[in-house]
Amino acid sequence: MLALLRGGPRYGFELVRELSEVDGLVTSEGTIYPLLTRLRKEQLVTTFWRESESGPPRRYYELTDAGREALDDFAKEWARFRDSVDAILTKEEG
Amino acid sequence: MTTTQTDRLVDDYLSRLEEAAAHLQRSRRVELIAEIREHIEAALREEEAGGEVAVRNVLERLGPPEEIVEAAEPAPEAEQRPRGKLEVGAMVTLVVPFIGWLFGIAMVLISKAWSNREKTIGTALALLAAAPFAALAIVDSSSEGTTSTFEVLLFALWVIGGLPSALYLGLRLRRAD
Repeated sequence: MLALLRGGPRYGFELVRELSEVDGLVTSEGTIYPLLTRLRKEQLVTTFWRESESGPPRRYYELTDAGREALDDFAKEWARFRDSVDAILTKEEG
Repeated sequence: MTTTQTDRLVDDYLSRLEEAAAHLQRSRRVELIAEIREHIEAALREEEAGGEVAVRNVLERLGPPEEIVEAAEPAPEAEQRPRGKLEVGAMVTLVVPFIGWLFGIAMVLISKAWSNREKTIGTALALLAAAPFAALAIVDSSSEGTTSTFEVLLFALWVIGGLPSALYLGLRLRRAD
């Protein structure tokens, strides 16, 4: 979720659609909004309004500095985890 | 399919969401509903199919409202809605005319087992029981001495006046289990 916001602010619908396309785990798109609320509460994400070309203004979600930091930490952690798993898998094969 | 009918699909969905989110903090509930509403509006603008099909697709992808709320905060039914002596006492008391209604209503209002909406309906039902009582007083003052069947009927209504309220609240309690 945070990674999707790395490229810049997104509005709700766009973010949700993108996430549900990448992530096969999302069965109901609506459940992503409570997750966004939680991230906002933890101050990893902020929201703001922006005019849209078609229709009413949209609520955009954006990473905060803390959110960026959390994302970097997670990316590092994940890389370490992935490397460990890879190492075990290649050993099994060999 | 007219616009009003598709609007109704969306409205139904949002009111289901609102009901499911009753246990959320007010600000969170309002925000969640606003976000979902915006999502639906944005999604409908992108849908290729129009009308009912588009609306149904969008709502289907969103998932059941209950699931969305569950992701926000699982409803702590068991903890938040205890069925204790107070609730049973309130229902028994509500059946007793007059004094019982007053105490019953007070107990219902104190209890945490019912939602505000349920409390309002329960109280209103109990207050309705006062209507035959008022009618009885009027009839009684106009016809002196003799007791008509109408009066007997009103009296009976008065005696069982608290039942609907007690039944309603009891059923809501069972539903919550």
